[in-house]
Order: sequence, then C-alpha cells, then structure tokens
Amino acid sequence: MPREAEISVNERAFIQQALQEQIRLDGRAFDAFRPLELTFGDEYGVADVQLGKTRVIARISVDVTTPLPERKFDGVFQIITEFSPMASPAFEVGRPTDAEVILSRILEKAIRRSNALDTESLCIIAGLKCFALRADVHIIDHDGGLIDASCIAVMAALQHFRRPDVLVEGEKATVLSVREREPIPLSILHQPLCVTFSYFEEVDIFLVDANFAEEQVRQGEVIVTMNRHGEVCQVAKYGGATVNPLALLNCTNIALQKVKEMSKFIQMKLDEDAKRRNVGGLLAELSAENDR
Amino acid sequence: MAPEALLSHLHRADGSATYTHNGYCIIGAVNGPIEVQRRDELPEEATVEVNVRPAAGVGSPKERHLETLLHNTLRSIILTRVIPRTLVQITLQVRSLPDEEGAAGVHPSLLLLPHLLHTSLLALLSASIPLSTTLTSVLIAIPSSPTSKSGAPLVSPTATDLLRAKPIRSVHVFAFSGDNRLLLNESDGVFSFDVWDEACETAEEACCREEGGVGLVGEGMEVDGKESANLEEWLRVVVRRKVEHEQRWKVAT
Repeated sequence: MPREAEISVNERAFIQQALQEQIRLDGRAFDAFRPLELTFGDEYGVADVQLGKTRVIARISVDVTTPLPERKFDGVFQIITEFSPMASPAFEVGRPTDAEVILSRILEKAIRRSNALDTESLCIIAGLKCFALRADVHIIDHDGGLIDASCIAVMAALQHFRRPDVLVEGEKATVLSVREREPIPLSILHQPLCVTFSYFEEVDIFLVDANFAEEQVRQGEVIVTMNRHGEVCQVAKYGGATVNPLALLNCTNIALQKVKEMSKFIQMKLDEDAKRRNVGGLLAELSAENDR
Repeated sequence: MAPEALLSHLHRADGSATYTHNGYCIIGAVNGPIEVQRRDELPEEATVEVNVRPAAGVGSPKERHLETLLHNTLRSIILTRVIPRTLVQITLQVRSLPDEEGAAGVHPSLLLLPHLLHTSLLALLSASIPLSTTLTSVLIAIPSSPTSKSGAPLVSPTATDLLRAKPIRSVHVFAFSGDNRLLLNESDGVFSFDVWDEACETAEEACCREEGGVGLVGEGMEVDGKESANLEEWLRVVVRRKVEHEQRWKVAT
C-alpha cells in the first residue's frame, strides 16, 4: 500500500506563513466551518454528510439479539468505522491506521459513553431479547475533518432512524414489519457533536474544521464534544504541542456556538425530510407511540 | 428504467462512479496504477484488487465470493500487461439496496452482481485504466411456470417484480464484452440447457444486440427517443458524456 503523500516543505511553509498573516488558504475565517450538506435517503437511518470535499455516510441498522449477561436491561449499540481505499489509497482493508483508531475512539466516547442513545429503550424482554443497533460509518471522500463529519452523520442518522415496533406477549416477542405498524423513532437523550480545533504552535492559532492540508501541518488538535445545552461530553487532545488551559476554555465557547448552529441545521434538515415523507399529514395517525 | 451513472465525483480517488438502478445504489472508486506491495507484485502484469463493502456490517464470505467473481472478470478486460508491476485497486461500496431484496427468495449476491460489474467498469473508465473491451451485464430471472404467459424470462427485474413473480425457478447473470462475447455466467436454481440457452439469448439481446433487440429499457423508454435501447448503447451514452465533459476546454476555444 502506498504511503500517504506527505505535504511538501514549500506547501507547509506557505500555509504557516499565510497563517502568520492571519489568512487561511481557502479564505475562511479561523472559526468557520466549510459548507455543510446533509441529505437523507429513501430509507430510514441513512445520513449523507458533505463537509467541503469530505463526504461521510452513516447507516443505522437493527437486529434482535440476546443482551449481554451483565447488562440485562440494555440493548446493544455499536459504532463501526472502517476506512476503505475509496477515501485514500493509504487506507488498507483490515489494517486500521491511527486516524481510524482515533476516530472510532472519539465516536465511542462522544456518542456511546455520553449516553446519547437510551440503550434501555432497546430492551425487549429483560435478559432474553433486545435490539442490537449498529451504526456503520463509511468514509467516501477524505479531505480532513473526518471526526466532525462522522459525528454529525451518526447523530443525524440516529435521529432519522425508526426501529420496528414489537409486540410482547409474555415470553414471546413479535417484531412487527413496517407494513403492520409504523416504526418508532429511537429515544435520543441529547445530541453531542464534535468540533475539532487544529492548533498551530508557532503562531498560537486555533483553526476550526481544518482541511487535509492544514491537518498535516498542525502541531496539535483539540476535539471538544458538546451538546447544544453547553454540556461538555469529552475533550481530547492529540499531538505534541502544549495548549494553554485558558485557550481551551475559549475553545469550548467557540464549540458551543458551532454546535448550536449545527444542531439547528440538522433539526432543519430532519424537519424537511419529515415533511417530505408526511404527504397528506397521515403519519400522525399511523403512529402507535405514546407521548412521554 | 435505464441505470443512472455519475462519474468522477470523488476527489481523492483516481476514478469514481456512482451507479443507481432498480433501487440499488453503489459507489465505486478506482485507484491505479499505483505502487503494489511486494508480496502481491506480478512481474509481467498488474495486480487487480477488488474490495466489496456491504451497506451494513463488515465483509462476509458473500462479499468475498463476489470479489472473486469480479476479480476474475475484470482481470480479463483490464490490459494488465500494459501496466506490469502495479496495482489497480477497485473499491465498491454498496450504498443502498431495495427494501424487498431479501423477500424474493433469490440469492441476493446474484442480484447485486450486474450492478457491481457496471459500477466497477464505470469507475475503471473514469480512472482511464487501459481496458481491452467494455462490459455489460444483466440479470435474467425465470419464473416457476414456463408454460403460462407469466413464465417468460424477466430481464433485469426490480425487487418488486421478483416478489410478484414468485416463486422464481432460476436466476442467471450474464456479462458480455463489447464484441458480444460471453465473459461471465453465474446461475442459480433448477434449469435445463434449453432454458439456459434461451436466457443467454435474451441476455445478449438486452446487453449488446444491434437493432431490433427487445432491450432492457422496453417500449416505455423508446418513446422519448433519447434513451438507450440496450445496455451497450447506454454505456456509450455515458462514455460520450464523459468525453464531452473532458474535452470541453477544446470545444470552448
């Protein structure tokens, strides 16, 4: 497998000098995201996120299994990120790169461990049957900002997904198909989103949503995961550069603002999609869901 | 319905294509010719690597089987001897499948195979990998009652068509090269040689028969004239559009 082509010395110097003059190569502000696009397919639970040239597809699928013996009342939820040579020839199938390991670890911390999804609601019969939810993250095109894009994709897909309804009679559970009963949305407790800050030590600058070239030049990165209520779910820092704690506080402030914008955007897209599906306003009558 | 194709839309891959047909949507990417690992290097020809990635979950033996079929077929159309000691890496990501796919009682990997072949060919064309010929492929399904009227072979049926025509007696996938030669045949089910022969004939018509073929697209499409009547012509239209797009700098001046 060929190695990832490293950025040339000239390019590196150019980016750094531009930053010294307070300019980013693509002319964005330091705290600006690239144009974000989110599309949903015809099926439930597929979100296609485009962040500049980066493109990520998340797909949620569901299965019925027995719950883990030590967690009898919980369903199973796992996030699978596997890079393919589609995004870059340097990614090899079956041999995870560092970027892949970091991505899956951050998503694990940000979404699974922050309890974004109420896994107890996936339980069908305690200790016997539960739903196993899996989120597959496919990286289609890679131009930096994979963590942010994947997190948006997974959260949007989770909110878009509808699981089939079940009918429980004693020990017997029947999964009802889409034709029999309207599938129900997952219970999402909060919506964490990641914002990655790339730190450039010499010029002491934090960049939001760096593209691939900037990612290769940066000395450190800080990943802040927050929900729109301002609750920090996790903070991770990679790279050798030392980061001032006060700057970190500033990062969380910027992150909050970005997360609010993104949550609003996702909600808007979800509403649009719901409106598209709900032709004639009959969906409310189909629903068998009780209000909380 | 003629398939839809979108070429060269990914930025990092050398060639890419998104192919949509009958509810199947597949994204294909080709990297090549690139450096090959020492253990895979062949002294006189290029190594072809195919990766099929399912929509949900990680690859299973089903995907490995498809990869083997694709590898053997594509290796025969890529001019591997022109680019020796290199690697041509083909990645196919299944993006969506029709809802009723599993219900028809037909081997799902056979239903997927023609679409995968088309996607990989389009991606190879987009990457400008030297090819000896093009390829078109089609699925033929034969319903259970050959005596009745409904027993006629279904050409490139949708998932709903298959569900309605249930039970299906046999399914066949044929792939033809640009000069009408049979490249690949995969069959599943119970059938006699006559049935196979007839299916092969129908497939050839749908893929590459000149003039007067019944064609995959059927009568509905011929009305608007522009649409291609068979897959070979469809492929030509796609390629012509690609070439026109690439030569637009020349036309503009």
